[in-house]
Amino acid sequence: MHAKMTSKMAAFLLSGLMVTPALADFPEKRIEIVVGYAAGGGTDVLARTIAPYLEEYLGNNASVVIKNMPGASGQIGVTEVAQAAPDGYTIGTYNLPGMMARTLDREAAFDADSFTYLANVVDDPNVIVTPKSSAIDTMDKLVDAAREGAVTVSMSSLGGDDHFFLMNVADVTGGEYTPVPFSGSAPARSALMGGHVTMGIVNISEVINFRDELNVLGIATQERSPLADDVPTFAEQGYELYNSALRGFVAPAGLPDEVEAALISAFQQTYDDPEFQDVMLRTGNPIELAVGEDFRRLNDEQLELAERVWEISPWK
Amino acid sequence: MYASLIDALPEVLSWMNLAAVVVGVIAGICVGALPGLSATMAISVLIPFTFGMDPLVALGMMAGIYNGAMYGGSIPAILLRIPGTPAAVATSFDGYPMAQQGKGGYALQVAVVSSAIGGVASALVLMLLAPPLAKVTLLFGPAEIFWVAVFGMSAIVFLLGGDILKGLISACFGIFVSLVGADTITGYDRYTFGHLELLDGINIVVLLVGLYALPPAIALLEEKKELDTSNAGKLNTVSIWKAIPGMLQYWKTWLRSSVIGVFIGILPGAGGSMAAFLSYNEAKRASRHPERWGEGEPEGVAAAETSNNADTASALIPALTLGIPGTAVAAVMLGGLLIHGLQPGPMLFRDNPDIVFGFMWQFLFAAILLIALGGSFATNSFAQVLRLPRPLLGAIIIALVFVGVYSINGRMFDVYLMLGFGFIGYFMDKLKFPLPPVVLGLILGGFAEQNLRLALRIGGGDVMALAASNTAKVIIVLTLFIILTPIISRLLRMRKARNA
Repeated sequence: MHAKMTSKMAAFLLSGLMVTPALADFPEKRIEIVVGYAAGGGTDVLARTIAPYLEEYLGNNASVVIKNMPGASGQIGVTEVAQAAPDGYTIGTYNLPGMMARTLDREAAFDADSFTYLANVVDDPNVIVTPKSSAIDTMDKLVDAAREGAVTVSMSSLGGDDHFFLMNVADVTGGEYTPVPFSGSAPARSALMGGHVTMGIVNISEVINFRDELNVLGIATQERSPLADDVPTFAEQGYELYNSALRGFVAPAGLPDEVEAALISAFQQTYDDPEFQDVMLRTGNPIELAVGEDFRRLNDEQLELAERVWEISPWK
Repeated sequence: MYASLIDALPEVLSWMNLAAVVVGVIAGICVGALPGLSATMAISVLIPFTFGMDPLVALGMMAGIYNGAMYGGSIPAILLRIPGTPAAVATSFDGYPMAQQGKGGYALQVAVVSSAIGGVASALVLMLLAPPLAKVTLLFGPAEIFWVAVFGMSAIVFLLGGDILKGLISACFGIFVSLVGADTITGYDRYTFGHLELLDGINIVVLLVGLYALPPAIALLEEKKELDTSNAGKLNTVSIWKAIPGMLQYWKTWLRSSVIGVFIGILPGAGGSMAAFLSYNEAKRASRHPERWGEGEPEGVAAAETSNNADTASALIPALTLGIPGTAVAAVMLGGLLIHGLQPGPMLFRDNPDIVFGFMWQFLFAAILLIALGGSFATNSFAQVLRLPRPLLGAIIIALVFVGVYSINGRMFDVYLMLGFGFIGYFMDKLKFPLPPVVLGLILGGFAEQNLRLALRIGGGDVMALAASNTAKVIIVLTLFIILTPIISRLLRMRKARNA
């Protein structure tokens, strides 16, 4: 027994000595990506698509597995990540503005400083849509209608990117809009197609399969999207409106610098891989990479927007 | 479009893809038959594994599981009065009395044949009528869906049982459970007591298992009987192929229940349980001897089982064309499509016809396979559970439901919740409170509330906006008809009695 203890202690000491070289060899065990949603959702598919690329670019026979922890619109999963050991072996999906909005409208066990911001990958801009049968088929007509009387707007939820974008639209265009939050963008889109509401706010990825059924009045980007280059930006039509839903990956705060650098570089190389770009385009995911500090800046912008909306019209 | 259907066939008939359907059906029957495991769960567990598979292999397995589980759920519902899936609750009304009368084998055969017929009808509708029916789905906005929920609630009346007051209390309990979780409009927490796990509301499977599986399992443990094989002996039946001709008398019920199931399937959110309740109710109303219902009427099993399979493929119509799943299972199947980069929408039919139409064929094959796989093999093997010593059976069920409920979200919280419901269910059972109203209350309560509030928001708070569309008016009239017919016919009978 005594011998056993000494060997254990020796192993412990050795492992302490080996910390520095071990980090250079990151990863030396399985990396878990915590997905805050059930398998088969958009966020889950992103994580599963990206995992084999990360394995390839991390090298070292890296193994990346997905762990689904659904519930509370992603909050359960992201809380798990915020509270995990900052060793790079637990990273998680991170959606904006949702994750920051939850720090305002709920009691959350995390805030903007709880994370190491690795990479934002998907940047899914908002669009305004009306049914094909509607007479309102341009932004100008929509704005006229909204100034005459309240326009009903279907969208996926209050406190999400659709809602924040609508507040921007109301700010920039004037007029009156009644948000109607369906739980999810598919029912919101269907209610619009059935003519039960006047307009809808969704994301570009959610309309590309419905181009024959919907008028897309504009897209909230600086430049036109490669997914639908016939859709004009709002700026082109004289409305300064920019917003999108973001999907990225974070790790717990306090990640060792070498580990952070290794992970970010793997994300960067994945993004630069033409095969990856092709898969994302094919599945209708608009991508735009922002890593490290840039991602953190995006996060803070989204938090600021959420705080502004929360102050004017708290959604709960 | 019909050309694409034919084009998709050869690929479906490749042995890998056929094998996937067979494996799916067998797995589905097992999953459905085990209390606590459901099709939704089996498919969500399967999805991550399908990531690397060929899409049709993955989808074939899912189609098989879905169809298999919808029948499988009836096995414990009939043999033990423990519905294996939420949609099998109505099957137990007459199935269990039949089993007690020693006609369990026949009940299972009626269930499997009816399931197959409902499944075939549904698959054919999906194959031939998906685009026009998607337009019907679009007619149903929040106001119309709210009325559908009210219509479904009118079916509660017959579920209430002998003691109306107890029935109503049960229904209210179900509706109360539906209130738990984040408010769907504003996100405000209701009755969550700070538990993140409760924010998404209470999963129907957790409630179902707690109320329906735990109390009977405990009752089994209480029995001190020695090995009892008397029941098993009575299960020996004629071969399924010989039994079918005798069932042809149910053709009207099959037809009616198929229509109800298909229709409920294309409405977003209602699902198999509502289809089964409604068609049981309708079949009973149409029956010439409604007094026999609830006491072992095979037609009741036929009605419930036809319609809970008839909504399987039709639930995929709104899922594939609009991205809105008709049932919880269709919702996870949508995930299975997404994982293969198949985004729902009209473009899906144009871009990936081989896969979409192949998937529809697989639904048809899965439904037909039910008779062969379920009828002969599964039914006989599962019937053997009755030969187990009762306390052992109880212990097995309890172990299974723990695993099943834990695996829904991978957390113990749901298991504790289930135990709480088990406690409530045990006393409800002892005090003779009916359980079905609780299930329907939970399913329809949240559904009705959310749509009512969306409709009022769209209408600017005007109550009349709820009845603005013609679709809404039709459903309101139908609901009134269902509620008023028994009252009027009773009044007429009373007058006749007085005149006589």
